[in-house]
Amino acid sequence: MAEAITFKINGETKTVAIEGHEKLIEILREKLDLTGTKCGCDDASCGACTVVVNGEAKKSCVFPHAKLNGAEVTTIEGMTGKDGGLHPIQQAMIDGGAVQCGYCIPGIVMELHALYSRNLEAGEAEITEALSRHFCRCTGYEAIMKSALLAQEYLKKGRKKAKKGK
Amino acid sequence: MDLKYVGKNIKRFDAVKKATGKALFLDDIKLPGMLHAAILRPEFAHAKILSIDTAEAEACEGVVKVVTGKGCDFRYGDNIRDLVPMAVDKVRYIGEPVAAVIAETRQQARVAVKKIKVQYEPLPVYVDALAALEKGAALIHENSGDYWHLPGLGPKPGTNIANLYQLKKGDIDQGFKEAEVTVEGEFVYPFGSCAALEPHGAIVWFHEDKTIEVWSSSICPFIIREEIARVYKLPESDVRVHIPELGGCFGYKSDITVEQTIAWIASFVPGRPVKWVATRKEDFTSTLLGHGIRIRMKVGAKRDGKLTALRTTVYHSTGAYSDTGVHVSIAAGHNSAGTYEFPHIHQESYLVYTNTPPIGAFRGYGHQEGQFAVERLMDILARKLKMSPFDLRARNYLRPGTTSSLGERIYVSNGDVAKCAEVVKKAVFQGEKPREDDQYWYGRGFAALTKTPKGAPHSSKGCYLKFNGDGSVSINCGGAEVGQGLRNVVRQIAAETLKIPPERIRVYTEIDTQFSPWEWQTIGSMFTLQGGAAVVKACQRAIAMLKKTAAQVLRVEEDVLDYDGEHVFLKNDPEVKIEVHRLTRGYMYENGMTAGEVVQTTSDVRLPRYSGPDVNGQGTMGVSYTFGAQGCEIRIDKATGQVIIDHFASAFDVGRVINPEQIRGQIAGGVMMGVGATLYEEVKFDKDGKCLNPHYSKYRFPTIKDAPRRQTIECLETPESIGPYGARGIGEHPVIGVAPAILNAIQDAIGVEFYELPVTPEKIKAALAAKGSGKAGK
Ligand code: FES
Ligand code: FES
Repeated sequence: MAEAITFKINGETKTVAIEGHEKLIEILREKLDLTGTKCGCDDASCGACTVVVNGEAKKSCVFPHAKLNGAEVTTIEGMTGKDGGLHPIQQAMIDGGAVQCGYCIPGIVMELHALYSRNLEAGEAEITEALSRHFCRCTGYEAIMKSALLAQEYLKKGRKKAKKGK
Repeated sequence: MDLKYVGKNIKRFDAVKKATGKALFLDDIKLPGMLHAAILRPEFAHAKILSIDTAEAEACEGVVKVVTGKGCDFRYGDNIRDLVPMAVDKVRYIGEPVAAVIAETRQQARVAVKKIKVQYEPLPVYVDALAALEKGAALIHENSGDYWHLPGLGPKPGTNIANLYQLKKGDIDQGFKEAEVTVEGEFVYPFGSCAALEPHGAIVWFHEDKTIEVWSSSICPFIIREEIARVYKLPESDVRVHIPELGGCFGYKSDITVEQTIAWIASFVPGRPVKWVATRKEDFTSTLLGHGIRIRMKVGAKRDGKLTALRTTVYHSTGAYSDTGVHVSIAAGHNSAGTYEFPHIHQESYLVYTNTPPIGAFRGYGHQEGQFAVERLMDILARKLKMSPFDLRARNYLRPGTTSSLGERIYVSNGDVAKCAEVVKKAVFQGEKPREDDQYWYGRGFAALTKTPKGAPHSSKGCYLKFNGDGSVSINCGGAEVGQGLRNVVRQIAAETLKIPPERIRVYTEIDTQFSPWEWQTIGSMFTLQGGAAVVKACQRAIAMLKKTAAQVLRVEEDVLDYDGEHVFLKNDPEVKIEVHRLTRGYMYENGMTAGEVVQTTSDVRLPRYSGPDVNGQGTMGVSYTFGAQGCEIRIDKATGQVIIDHFASAFDVGRVINPEQIRGQIAGGVMMGVGATLYEEVKFDKDGKCLNPHYSKYRFPTIKDAPRRQTIECLETPESIGPYGARGIGEHPVIGVAPAILNAIQDAIGVEFYELPVTPEKIKAALAAKGSGKAGK
């Protein structure tokens, strides 16, 4: 039986028909053509599929469609500005040299987005904890940690500027 | 040399697409009319197929076709042709394709594939080479003697031996006669998975016009093209292979892995593209694994530390098919001599069919397995001789004038292992190590290492270069970007040679056999050296063409002209000049007449005199050596047995750093991979050949919490003679010395010698208990 669910995706309200078995990742990738969210595993281990649902980092590969109605979802596509400008976290990933194959990067960006939106003062231990939910085979994590700290710096600077602007 | 772009941290141009989620990987591709496949895997690791009943699967919703191996009459492979796309009458490992469903959606295919019923007659299963070698063992390949293979390779019919490689240098008996001390050991490097974040996948489309189009997450499009063309009896030019962005490789996306299987499946639905992407489980059990290598090694030396003899026997459990494993076992053989000159060597590598997934390339390709053994034995020998392990090694390093196991002479231009060792020694071994405390034992360890390419005699890399009308440049190479950043290396080398800013150079974003220059495959840490040299050559040819046209226009000889990126000008009067963009399409006079050629060039570079092995297993197979050293400071938690790496140091003589940030990323990532293999990772099989942990959560993939707390990374620059600007490769090197360095450090910390990987906390605790607990440490 097909049913329909309605939720907000990257700021836009969408209704999609589903067959019933789908996880969020399939809805994103197959029904909404949002292929920036990646799949790396089959047992919710790698974090490549992470998106932000109602402000929290969630693994879309196990997120059931049933919990989606009325939810607010942000994916990597929603991080880039309407003008094509990069989000500070994306910019930090590039500047810190974290991008090698890049397959893990969208998930990591979303994890950090959730973390810093909640607590921009997060310390290294908290950042490490968040990043430990993400596998990266390329970098050895050194550049990822560096980029995560850089992202925090960029966001703090942005906040200051915004305050000054007011 | 004053360099403007080489050696600089120029940002990689693919980072924006990747950070915005817009880079296209295999699974992101949708084609019109695309169907999806799901593949059935057997219940037994070795069994005869008695019957396959597909009726129920065929009746399922959305199913277009159910495919079996029936009627498949070809084998494939480019070394030992023993592979089949789908099991025909028997299965040889637990991940082998038995049948497949093609359906309108992935979900429908996955539901239907479970409805296929197969009857098997189980056969004896061998997981380890030693078991498969026993007298009376059942044959995994009954007709292995019939398989095509490259000259010098090949199975021993009537046994499970897929290949035997032997290397002889000097006279081994003499070497051990001269020895005053010997040490020996048996070392195990277990099965591992490259486990790239992006799993394998492919799309194959048999077109109505009899051409075939393939998309694959592979690094060897041209091998795929050649093999598919061969088995479907088409000209190679009628098979087109695309390589989109790759989410990591680390070895196992080389050679031909899943593509022939998907082609076989797609051949039943001509006119429609068929996509298949591995689940993580399939990525473990149905692509390629790494290692599976057991090494018995004996080293002889004089009392003063001079090495006299090396005997190595490699038992390589290569899995059910040997095509992709054969060169790994050869490399493990001749690399087991490490960075040392042994005057007398006898080495044998048994490549043995077993009932596990096939073994293939894993970053390091035989080097880490062989050098794990020799670097452990160097420490053990030093203790026996009561010598410093550094002095023992330094006495025997390959240096100019010595010869390697392959019989190749070492030159200054091969780099300096002793200097690398000094750097690591200084970083790690200065001062005293911390004293044992209530919580931890402390240790330090060291390993030297070498990496030689493992190529093929015809292995070549090419470059197509095109100057555009505005003086910008487009460059196309066949090198696969797997994340290592080679396209940025291409751009920096081209910018340097053409003397134009990198922003004016656009480098290819995908490989397409229809447009890309031929490249054998992007393996062996060879792209920077070979591909980079091809880029230099193509750039020089373009500059020569610009000058040729300018000479015609200015009515001078070419050799009085110079080029600075913007102009071609007269050396003795730079005011006489022509702008480059006016020359790129040939020069146009005011009246519209033109002179000269369009500036587009091609080039290719192969390894000079690279050869296959001679009767002694020697030959010119190293060509470009790279040396390095690694060391670490560790802590072992007394309560848990966990090894914590406080500091890991690596030094490599890379000849020339092209991009410091990228090279650091390569090395940091490689070290982490080595740490995973050393302490955590192992793909396990039970005695029936069933895989026990084909999932990330059970494989123990290293996370940020396992990373070394600090890494020292230094690159030395002794120029290579043929590499671009003196550069040599670095891709695989960082994994090679990690295991011996850590195990030597564990010995230093608790006095326990480990010979098998991975050294898990449980193994450390068990070893300590056996030793009489609490007494460990020194
Ligand atoms: S794909 Fe969701 S955690 Fe790996
Ligand atoms: S950059 Fe390749 S997995 Fe992280």
